[in-house]
Amino acid sequence: MSGGHVARFTLAQRIEHFVLIISFNALAFTGLPQKYFQAGWAERIIQLLGGIERVRFIHRTFAVILLAEAAWHIGAVAAARRAGRERGDMNLSFRDVREVIGDIAYLLGLRAEKPAFGRFDYRQKLEYWAVVWGTAVMAITGLIMWFPETLARAFPGVLVPAARVAHGGEALLAILAVIIWHFYNAHFRPDIFPMDPAMWTGSIELERLRHDHRAEYERLAEAGLAGTEERPPS
Amino acid sequence: MRESGLIPIVKVGRLVTFARLVPIVLGVLIGGSLAVPPAGPAPVARAQEAAQENDTCLACHTAPGMVLRLPSTELISVTIDPVRFKDSAHGRAVTCTTCHPDNAAVPHPAVKVRTMREYRDLRSEVCATCHTDAVEKFGASVHGRARQMGFGDAPNCTTCHNPHDAARVKTPAFRNNTPQLCGTCHADPAVMRKYGLRAVYTAYVSEFHGVTTALYRLTEPQSPTPAAICTDCHGGHAIRAASDPASTVHPANVLATCRSCHPTAGRFFATAWTEHRTPAPDASPLVFYVQLFYRILIPATVGFLGLLTVLDLGRWATDQLRRGRGQ
Repeated sequence: MSGGHVARFTLAQRIEHFVLIISFNALAFTGLPQKYFQAGWAERIIQLLGGIERVRFIHRTFAVILLAEAAWHIGAVAAARRAGRERGDMNLSFRDVREVIGDIAYLLGLRAEKPAFGRFDYRQKLEYWAVVWGTAVMAITGLIMWFPETLARAFPGVLVPAARVAHGGEALLAILAVIIWHFYNAHFRPDIFPMDPAMWTGSIELERLRHDHRAEYERLAEAGLAGTEERPPS
Repeated sequence: MRESGLIPIVKVGRLVTFARLVPIVLGVLIGGSLAVPPAGPAPVARAQEAAQENDTCLACHTAPGMVLRLPSTELISVTIDPVRFKDSAHGRAVTCTTCHPDNAAVPHPAVKVRTMREYRDLRSEVCATCHTDAVEKFGASVHGRARQMGFGDAPNCTTCHNPHDAARVKTPAFRNNTPQLCGTCHADPAVMRKYGLRAVYTAYVSEFHGVTTALYRLTEPQSPTPAAICTDCHGGHAIRAASDPASTVHPANVLATCRSCHPTAGRFFATAWTEHRTPAPDASPLVFYVQLFYRILIPATVGFLGLLTVLDLGRWATDQLRRGRGQ
């Protein structure tokens, strides 16, 4: 059994994730100094990058890259759904609420066993939907701030300062969530430190799947472990 | 047309005309030769004289910490930075005694004014001798009228302009620093309350325009901020109260004022401006509630995720301990 791997992410998905890493970091690096402009470190970053106009130019460039990626992702999901490859592994349901409660009970030592998670557990789903929600909020509010004159042709102008507050708030939320949630679950968890290799290799060890995603493991086992292969992480 | 009119005259009285022209030409030449040479060296001599005169004053007035104590106990600094003065608009055009004629005598005659306010009023009369246009505009402005009514907090020429300094109003430094300059008074709630005004500076510095301007002041002091500063919307010397229908920021005029920089601004654009108010339930409520939403959501999310992380680590540690004991 050990040594077996199950495909988890396609190459396209891994590239997508890599583009997300780059754009997210670039946006945070050029956005935070604009939010905390009065701080000394913000001033130094802006000077380092060559002034506020250049900082804004870089920020908008990566915003466009992220928008393009979001469009690609929606297209990819739609294509997968049409081709029948998409089984709704990321769909949220009442089962996730039960699993959150069950997991807390397990973590507190009230239960011996982890809930039998599907292909993606509630932590991963939460993170995925947080990225979807966050990107939507950031894109809408960012575009409002980029084109306030156009917006005010049909919508109240007060949306502009409101968008600015939301953009800053959502940014902070996203950055903190990544630092606490993603860094812990994908990097600093003691059993996977320094990183979960799945996003790098594209596959997950069968043994880990059995432990962390039992429902998915059992589903695959029933289907005769279809889609698994004996290959080391590349 | 003009040539056809001239030709006959020349033909008819050619000799007479030329004879008459000789003394005129000679007169101009001789007169010019007499007038021009003295006019040549004069400015140089005058400049030298001026420099000498200024040097006489600066022999004392460069000493640091020189002050004039008014009867009101207010202190006026009378130390001049010679480099900055020489480089300023005034330093190149006028001498000390142009504006301080009484002080040509040494020792200087006693200052007759009793308070800083009286002193500034007296000085602005000096400004008016040359800057007639600005002084006239200022007199009709909300600041000028408040001054005339006797409100001591209202500014005068020298409140905002230092006549001895190089910071000319067209420099990026002056532009980027304008909000701070206006903020000298408009950031002080105690002063503003007396006139039924809000300390708008505090709100401005956290608005779009204020943030960009602050960033330019901090990181690009050599470039003028492209974002609106106080005077871009409110006007400078001619500033009016926002409630005055003639004001550029009166509700009836504010969209037109926005469009002077945002020419494509839609008709609802002016409400993007939050009236220099800090968002509150009764001032830009949408902005306030969005702010409140994130003020709750961020700590709640961080708390929940943090708790799960701590629980996860706790479970891992307990398992490790159990395993250790089991061995």
